Amino acid sequence: MKNVQYIVVTLFGFCFLNFQGQEAPGVKQVKSVLLLNGTAHLGTGEVINRSAIVLEKGKIINVMNALTKTINNSDYDTVIDIKDKHVYPGFIAVNSTLGLMEIGAVRATEDFDETGTYNPNVRSIIAYNTDSKITPTIRTNGVLLAQVTPRGGVVSGSSSVVHFDAWNWEDALVKEDVGIHLNWPRFMKSSGWWSTSGDSKKSKNYIEKTKDINMFFDESLAYSKASNEGDRDLKLEAMKGLFTGNKTLFVNVSYVKEINDVINFKRKYNLKKVVIVGGYDSWMVTDRLKENNISVVIKHIHSLPNQPEDDIDLPYRLPKLLNDAGVSYCLQYFAQMEQMGTRNLPFVAGTAIAHGLTYEEGVASITMNAAKILGIDHVLGSIEVGKNATLFVSDGDALDMKTSNVVIAFIDGRMINLDNHQSRNYNKYKTKYGLE
Amino acid sequence: MKNYLFLLFIFSSIIGFSQEGFLINGVRDKNHNAHAFINATLHIDGEALINDGYLFVKEGRITYVGPKTKLPKNCVVHDVKGKHIYPSFIDLCTSYGVEKVKASPRSDYPQYNSLKKGAYSWNQTIKPEVNGIEAFKDNEKLAKEFRDIGFGTVLSHQQDGIARGTSVLANLAVNSQHENIILEKAAAHYSFKKGVSRQAYPSSLMGCIALLKQTFLDAEWYHNSNEDKQKNLSLEAFTLTQSLPQIIDVRNKYSVLRADKLGDEFNVQYTFKGSGDEYQMIADMKATNGQFIVPLNFPKPYDVEDPYDARHVSLEEMKHWELAPSNPKFLEQNQIVFALTTDGLKKKSSFLMNLRKAVKMGLSKKQALKSLTEIPAEMMGVYEELGSLTKGKQANFLITSGDIFEKGESIHQNWIRGKKHEVSAMDIVDVRGVYNLNVNQNIRTLTVSGSKEKPSGKLTYDMITDSVSVKGDLVLDSLTGKPYKIIRKQTVKVATSLNDHTIAISYQLKGGVYRLSGNVNFDSGVWDGRGQMPNGEWIEWTAIRSEKHKVKKKDNDNAIGLASGSEARGKFNYPMMAYGWDSLPVQKSILIKNAIVWTLEEQGTLETDLLIRQGKIAHIGKIADIVDANTLVIDAKGKHVSPGIIDEHSHIAIERGVNEGSSAVTAEVRIGDVVKPNDINIYRQLSGGVTASQLLHGSANPIGGQAALIKLRWGNSPEKMKVENAPGFIKFALGENVKQSNWGSYNTIRFPQTRMGVEQVFYDAFINAQEYEKKWSVYNELPKKKKQEVSPPRRDLQTEAILEILNAQRFVTCHSYVQSEINMLMHVADSMKFRLNTFTHILEGYKVADKMKAHGAGGSTFSDWWAYKFEVNDAIPHNASLLNQMGIVTAINSDDAEMGRRLNQEAAKGIKYGGMTEEEALKMVTLNPAILLHVDDRMGSIKIGKDADIVIWSDNPLSVYAKVEQTIIDGIVYYDWKRDLKMRKEIQQERLRIITKMIEEKNGGAETQKAFKKKSTVHVCGTLSDDGN
Repeated sequence: MKNVQYIVVTLFGFCFLNFQGQEAPGVKQVKSVLLLNGTAHLGTGEVINRSAIVLEKGKIINVMNALTKTINNSDYDTVIDIKDKHVYPGFIAVNSTLGLMEIGAVRATEDFDETGTYNPNVRSIIAYNTDSKITPTIRTNGVLLAQVTPRGGVVSGSSSVVHFDAWNWEDALVKEDVGIHLNWPRFMKSSGWWSTSGDSKKSKNYIEKTKDINMFFDESLAYSKASNEGDRDLKLEAMKGLFTGNKTLFVNVSYVKEINDVINFKRKYNLKKVVIVGGYDSWMVTDRLKENNISVVIKHIHSLPNQPEDDIDLPYRLPKLLNDAGVSYCLQYFAQMEQMGTRNLPFVAGTAIAHGLTYEEGVASITMNAAKILGIDHVLGSIEVGKNATLFVSDGDALDMKTSNVVIAFIDGRMINLDNHQSRNYNKYKTKYGLE
Repeated sequence: MKNYLFLLFIFSSIIGFSQEGFLINGVRDKNHNAHAFINATLHIDGEALINDGYLFVKEGRITYVGPKTKLPKNCVVHDVKGKHIYPSFIDLCTSYGVEKVKASPRSDYPQYNSLKKGAYSWNQTIKPEVNGIEAFKDNEKLAKEFRDIGFGTVLSHQQDGIARGTSVLANLAVNSQHENIILEKAAAHYSFKKGVSRQAYPSSLMGCIALLKQTFLDAEWYHNSNEDKQKNLSLEAFTLTQSLPQIIDVRNKYSVLRADKLGDEFNVQYTFKGSGDEYQMIADMKATNGQFIVPLNFPKPYDVEDPYDARHVSLEEMKHWELAPSNPKFLEQNQIVFALTTDGLKKKSSFLMNLRKAVKMGLSKKQALKSLTEIPAEMMGVYEELGSLTKGKQANFLITSGDIFEKGESIHQNWIRGKKHEVSAMDIVDVRGVYNLNVNQNIRTLTVSGSKEKPSGKLTYDMITDSVSVKGDLVLDSLTGKPYKIIRKQTVKVATSLNDHTIAISYQLKGGVYRLSGNVNFDSGVWDGRGQMPNGEWIEWTAIRSEKHKVKKKDNDNAIGLASGSEARGKFNYPMMAYGWDSLPVQKSILIKNAIVWTLEEQGTLETDLLIRQGKIAHIGKIADIVDANTLVIDAKGKHVSPGIIDEHSHIAIERGVNEGSSAVTAEVRIGDVVKPNDINIYRQLSGGVTASQLLHGSANPIGGQAALIKLRWGNSPEKMKVENAPGFIKFALGENVKQSNWGSYNTIRFPQTRMGVEQVFYDAFINAQEYEKKWSVYNELPKKKKQEVSPPRRDLQTEAILEILNAQRFVTCHSYVQSEINMLMHVADSMKFRLNTFTHILEGYKVADKMKAHGAGGSTFSDWWAYKFEVNDAIPHNASLLNQMGIVTAINSDDAEMGRRLNQEAAKGIKYGGMTEEEALKMVTLNPAILLHVDDRMGSIKIGKDADIVIWSDNPLSVYAKVEQTIIDGIVYYDWKRDLKMRKEIQQERLRIITKMIEEKNGGAETQKAFKKKSTVHVCGTLSDDGN
């Protein structure tokens, strides 16, 4: 046991010395690491109360129950005893603009909303800023992956999945161009602003707008079937993957009538993968969603109900409602202040647990469920053998702000620096005031 | 003064009536227009009735009302047996004949000064100098609309602006204007709506209220001061028109109370032009002692057949739809004096229908008549002239077919000033029905329907055909199986025009147009005459009625919303919306047993019992027995009890505008004037354990408005929500918002546009306040005698609020981000010798914590917000911890209705970032904000004697898994999760009940409105001006 302690100390010393500048990416993993005795929340809905997890060459090569398996510490280069601590797969921020926006009110720092109506060909990945000051503050809370997503227009563009430990966007890439993002027209508009909510008003051009989208998909479908050499159309070309099943269509839609229309739309174009984003009313049509194999990226649940008479906890309970109905879903943090707020994604899952999900369902809602929706579940989203070693250790329950304290995190086996400019600033001023 | 003026007007109007001095083209007209109406049912006023009565008029006035008497000589006699005669109605809220004001075109930048030329008010929306009479022109089309629904007289003013000027009281006769005008300046009108003015100030409801208040003070000063002062025609007119009846047009029940409060300050009793929702707070309405003018614009049922769309109709709207027609009844029951108006009706013609609906709902006919005649006449002080059938009064009366408050009865004639205006023919015969029309020996069925006055018809007939292409019921040949006849399906329209005893019909058949003309024999239901065939041949025709017209369902009660009767009406809720109370909860003794109590006092956190009595914490510690049978005992084993959460920075429950951001300094506006108790977010905050919120003005300007501290006493009136004797606060702001950095190119001219300018705004305001104080103290210290010679200085509400800061009578909470400006403001305060109480947001507080400590300022911050604008780029989530470690009183606030209900979680982040203890963290949202707000002597912790504002949690209140089970304020349970679950079901049931009723009415033929509104509420330009219109 003493031996283990010693190893832990050296390991931290080692890390500290090896961090070059501010949050430089970690060093490639060459040696094996054993995470021993932690409570492992696998992301699959399972939990191992005393686990032994082995990471090697960036992969998880073994996941064991330390109570039933004999573990020989000397088999591993590094052993980290994480008794009484919790270990989770890296949390995934779905439908995120991290790295595409630095300061909300400063237009020059905004890179997620291209002008124009149909932009399936614009790609978020090439604008993704690995040097954002925000990202380090997000991973400090265990969020290690994001679907970097464009917004705006009718078809906003293509999203890609990244991890948060990279020198440049090529390094960051987990999966390129996973989804095309469609803003479904709104049946009604809400008026009002900020503290004053207004009435809903029927939108004038709903039908026309949906016809327009149909036309674009007609054209895209036709294009996808033909050979277009010498006559290439970048937009239509970008749409191809939707019909082959290579890409997922993410549709931002909220009201039940619109959701029904989106379901019909999926059937009409025989789209392989469709995901509803938002889906405030999705609980009303769970059977249809299931039948048609449509997943839901649930609207940020830290939000107010839409109608005064809606159950006051309806947003909080939405995950539970979909979970019990058997609809595939995950959580997200798209709302005002979403970039910097993404560090609270774990607590959103905490709220969903407070309002019905079991703890492990809550973990899954920001790990494995998200990975499935993004189509990266073969490499990420859970602590399972063969998957990327992207996981983290928290002193206490990472879904509760009262106890969350991430102490170690790995991305593809690289141990990452959990420091950020905010904690440095804090320490700087503590020193100034002679606190501690 | 008032009476004197009034008499003068009456006198002049009587003299003027004969049009002396006008050119006469022809011989002199000696016709005295004498008429006698005999054998009528005379409704003298609301009380007296004469059957078979006689009414004589001459020269525009009533000369006799009473039982059968000798007819005067030389008069036209009208035998109106069976008819009823009522005094004509009076409408006190119209803009009849008065020209509308046009808005000035939009400019490239905000308009800060008035564009009105002349020596008028600095603000374009203050225009008491406008006299309705000056812009008054007859409008026969509109006059007829009014006459047709029974009105003989209207009060008319220019419905625009906050001080709108005077109105004119005029008859609606087809006469010259000289004859119609009764009072040229009848009343003075006000509102809390800015109207078409594009001047930036005021942009909010609280701004409108403050402006009207300041105008009172200015006018008073202008009138009394003998200083050398500039000419101001608006202030002169404001003072002059105070002697008239004062009518204020308000948008809802809360604004009635706002207007009444304002009136009380200046000894004005307003007459309230209400909105029809008075029934929802009827006791408060009664307590104003004011009189009301209320509309009959009852909402139409919504289209709710589609269950998805129906979700967008709120319970509040549903209940109002159901109860609005009972508003007059409730006013009557509570003995509130009220007149009725057509104002707000989209179609004037729906007035009688709605009036009858109100009567059906319980408004007495007596009261209805009074509210349309005597009361408005009394309100205008002209009951000597109008408002009843009384000898000597103006001859304004209606002749109706029967009881005008019953459906089916109609107005035949509206006599105004002795002049007849026909509304509907008195002896019109109903020719509707089914006829056998015989034209040239072809007998066809003619169905005449439509209205009695304007019948229309349809022709039905058989037709022989061998073609299947014609639509219709086919009759098949039994042998060939082929169609040979088509029955009844081809109907053609028949245009009917009926003029007394003649009738004209034309219709088109295959061969061409048939045109018939003939006579109507009323008694027999027979028409006959001659007509011309398409070929030009003249023929004889007859039509014999086989069936009389049947009243269709559409004309039934259903169409006017009486299908389900009044019995099935739902309960009243407080407030009248989802999650409202059936009756307000009452204070009880409460014993909470075995809870984990977070006292946040020396006792710390302990498992014990807690006794609440008379709204206060009475005992902390084990209690063996239940105190008495009336005590509510809550077994809270395993549960946590914390002090109620206090949100230092909230913007919930504010009506029409959080910001009066239209100028750099708006210290005069008060959130306390615009508290909105029916904001659902109050209830939602309760469900998150919030018991008190400081409602702050926004951050659009360096010196914003005054704050209001409320307890979330859901269901109560605005005044009852406010915390009693809470110290006053005012909002300051610094940085990007006040320099309008992120508001687009439109907002780039208001001073200040830089942080440099912000400092100067403060110095200017405070130095001005010092000088103001000096001016007043010089005046106040004058010897008594001298004082009488010198007039007092002008009172300025804005400067007075700022002066209160200097005198430590009002505390500052300042929206702040970066260290330079925080530092600056502390310098301003130090040099002006006052203390900044709270820096709110204070995201870079950690950089100047030592200076804040030295100054004595507290901080109220966000747990972890940053990166949303440039000035928050250096914010850190450890800020609260560091400030706390430095010994600064620190709170965590929401500034957001959603986060407001999770403030316990926000506090818990203090443990994560910077390592607060759990109790320290919980204090961030309870005791510390109480200290900052200077109410910690009664709120913020669990201590004997303090207010029983507490929360019962399912778990440790700092845990994300904790849910609120009960929220208690002053010992009253305002939120209970079990009750909440029950109410969800009740809300659904109540909605379903009303939805069923709406559908019934729609099927009965009632007009409906869409579930989605056609027009949305206007909220102009977000932060800048939420809604000043």
